[in-house]
Amino acid sequence: MNDSILVATDISKTFGVLEVVKGVSVDLQPGEFVSLVGKSGSGKTTLLALLSGLERPTSGQATLCGKDIVAAPEDELALFRRANIGFIFQSFQLIPTLTAWENVAVPLFPVKMAEEERRERATTLLRQMQMEHRLDHLPGTLSGGEKQRVAIARALVNHPQIIFADEPTGNLDSQTGQAIMEILDGLHKQQGMTILMVTHDLELSKTADRMLCMQDGAIVA
Amino acid sequence: MRFSYVWRELYLRRRRHLTAILGLAVGISLLVILQALAVAYQEASRTPLQEIGADITIQRSGDVPQELQGAVFPCSAVTIRKQEMEQISRLPGVRAMGQALLLWVFDKDRFTMVMGLDPANGLGPGKLRNFVVKGRFFEGEGLQALVDGTYAKEKQIEVGDTVTILDKRYPVVGLVDGSRASKIAVANVYLPLLEAQEMAAASPQVQGVSPFAIGDVNLVFLVADQEAIPSLAIALKTALGDKAAVATPASFLRQLGNLFALSDKFASATSCIVMTVAFLLVFKTMAGGIQERAREIGVLKCLGWTNKNIMSQLLAESLALCLLAGIVGVCFAGLVCLGLSFQELHIPIPWEMSPTPHFLPGGGEPVFKTVFLPVHLSWPLVGLALVLSLIVGGLTSALCIGRITRIKPSEVLRHE
Repeated sequence: MNDSILVATDISKTFGVLEVVKGVSVDLQPGEFVSLVGKSGSGKTTLLALLSGLERPTSGQATLCGKDIVAAPEDELALFRRANIGFIFQSFQLIPTLTAWENVAVPLFPVKMAEEERRERATTLLRQMQMEHRLDHLPGTLSGGEKQRVAIARALVNHPQIIFADEPTGNLDSQTGQAIMEILDGLHKQQGMTILMVTHDLELSKTADRMLCMQDGAIVA
Repeated sequence: MRFSYVWRELYLRRRRHLTAILGLAVGISLLVILQALAVAYQEASRTPLQEIGADITIQRSGDVPQELQGAVFPCSAVTIRKQEMEQISRLPGVRAMGQALLLWVFDKDRFTMVMGLDPANGLGPGKLRNFVVKGRFFEGEGLQALVDGTYAKEKQIEVGDTVTILDKRYPVVGLVDGSRASKIAVANVYLPLLEAQEMAAASPQVQGVSPFAIGDVNLVFLVADQEAIPSLAIALKTALGDKAAVATPASFLRQLGNLFALSDKFASATSCIVMTVAFLLVFKTMAGGIQERAREIGVLKCLGWTNKNIMSQLLAESLALCLLAGIVGVCFAGLVCLGLSFQELHIPIPWEMSPTPHFLPGGGEPVFKTVFLPVHLSWPLVGLALVLSLIVGGLTSALCIGRITRIKPSEVLRHE
């Protein structure tokens, strides 16, 4: 178990009197593609926040890439996320005032490096996403699929060890969603990327190596 | 911190920032205009004395002469003794001193304002050396007179003619343009000081009002250290007694009777209020902006930006916004000041400083020195305005730190 990239033991999260995540334990191996499925309100997004260090659990332990993400201070966690984690969101979460390539480079802005290198890394990834013709476009001028491609490029720009994807196709039509899933699958199969994907779509979840089903804050299968 | 991010944030969300920019710009421009006006009024108040090259003038009031015959003292200017002048010259802060003797001379057929001035001293009426329009200034010994240009035109006097004062004939060696000098320390005819002193010493009307000896005068002009002027005015009053009339820039400022003239603290107090309101407006906009951008800040935190990284970015945005507002405010203030600089300002000359007797036509009317309001933007004021803008930007950012640190990275998921 020492090889695990993510180990969470008996983690719970309570908001007021509402226990959203109830004593969940998760273990992810490097290179695994795991989908977390469940109905709306089952607690899967909260669990993703807990496992990625965006939210602190009320109880339990979690170690990600060897780092205790429960006890670490906020700024330390931010630096840890910058170095090790990529995020993909349902609503893309691009910065509306930055161009496509700048959005990709956002995680690199606080890092001391030459501007050319920053742009080169962002451009290379956008080229891989077949977005080279949209480098200097603002998010407002991009389609949903293009936005998500930019978001995937942004998730990869810091060479992460793991990607957390929250409903990455939720705001896309089925055809575009399929294309995005192919990109994620390619990342997993060709680059050996570890991915934890939250989805409510059982069909999409089959793309993953393993599926975790969540119901009422607990993993049931 | 990234400049392109700062610039695009300001440009692409300009509607949101416009209120703050305009609010602060109005605040800055008001501050600059008020301060510039306060300085302008102070500068204008120095004009009457500046034109005679002095910072302070001293006179002493006395009794009205029994008879208006021969040479008499104006009741606002009687003897200042030679010993008193020596005492004045030793007061701390005095850098130079000049003197003059103003006499009203009633000949049988005419009245003449005569002023005796020291040809070797450039202070006070001695400045007339620069305003000779025809002929020459006093040179060497002997009888000689300078005549005011307007008076000479009225009386058809030319250089080379003679003017008769108390039966003594003085060759006119030059004409001077008194209108270019201040409305104080002017006369119809100017004589060397010693001539005027002899005239006063020989006059029973002068001696009857105020004993006078050769060496005494009735007008004293001082150049003083600027910071010493207020304390010097008090010391002069103490040295010369209650009847001494000490005119300083501050006394002219009081004559203006304006809010700015009443106190430069008015401008400072108003500026403080205006800047506080502008600061609150900027803070409200910034705080509102942070609230609106909570998701964006959450995204940045999620992607590995620390609180310090985000603060630097927002600080840069805030500084840029406030600097822009400062520049707009300064430009607007510059335009307003340009407009105001065409306004005329009438500085009242106290009656006791006017050389014209009240019994002559126009003598009883108020006398004003008219100048264009010397309002302009100085570089230090522009610098102060821009620095204040930046301080507002820095302070608002500092006050927003708490709000930024309270935003959790998981905020990003709340909007999913």
